[in-house]
Amino acid sequence: MNTLAYILYLLITYIITVRVGLIFYRNGRLFILNLLQQDVPLTDFINRILLTGYYLLNLGYAALMLRTWDTITTWTELLVSIGTMTGKIMLTLAVIHFFNMAAILLVSKRNNHFINDKI
Amino acid sequence: MSTSYNFTAYLIYLPVVIILTWYVAHTLFKNSKVFMLDIFHGKAEIAVATNKLFETGFYLLNLGFAFWIMVILENILDSRTMLEILSAKIGGYCIYLGIMLFFNLYLFFRGRRVSKEKSRIITPLPDLPKL
Repeated sequence: MNTLAYILYLLITYIITVRVGLIFYRNGRLFILNLLQQDVPLTDFINRILLTGYYLLNLGYAALMLRTWDTITTWTELLVSIGTMTGKIMLTLAVIHFFNMAAILLVSKRNNHFINDKI
Repeated sequence: MSTSYNFTAYLIYLPVVIILTWYVAHTLFKNSKVFMLDIFHGKAEIAVATNKLFETGFYLLNLGFAFWIMVILENILDSRTMLEILSAKIGGYCIYLGIMLFFNLYLFFRGRRVSKEKSRIITPLPDLPKL
């Protein structure tokens, strides 16, 4: 049963990570572009590195969490453990995400040309 | 396993929670574009991007919380207990979702106010007499 749970869990985590990563990648580009004063090649470079780092961090963390898994004997336990573990991963992702947005806000406030200036 | 209602409870809980979260997030972020346009002074690109980022964060946070609290520790033996436990769980989650919704609305209103104040401070500057 544990093997099945691991396979399902890794599949769900992988799908969530990749989808969310792509959303961040597409929508975050604009912010980095503004922070770097419209330097397009550097922005794309940094954006891609950030995406890779995000994948590594999240998938690595998801794989690490396998160690803390209880032994599963019934379908109910399977459902519960997959749900709880996925929930933990999503919560971690959300916290990291909001932390990142706060960081972007603080940095852009410091050089102040971002929200108020006309592009 | 056939005597226990736990599995049925999870099968009811998960779709309800997912649909509820989707509905709230969809309604909130469909209507928040107006606020975002106000906050970023009509710059549509950055407003839509911020909106999308907030929406993703909202989904992650709330669905993650919903999955995290899904475990029912006791063994449910009849349908009455199942209904009671389920309604307590889903009701609690609804209240949590409502609080998050109003927190988000507060953030939007606050952002709009702050950006309006800023533009009020910034716009008179070009009218100053030149030295």
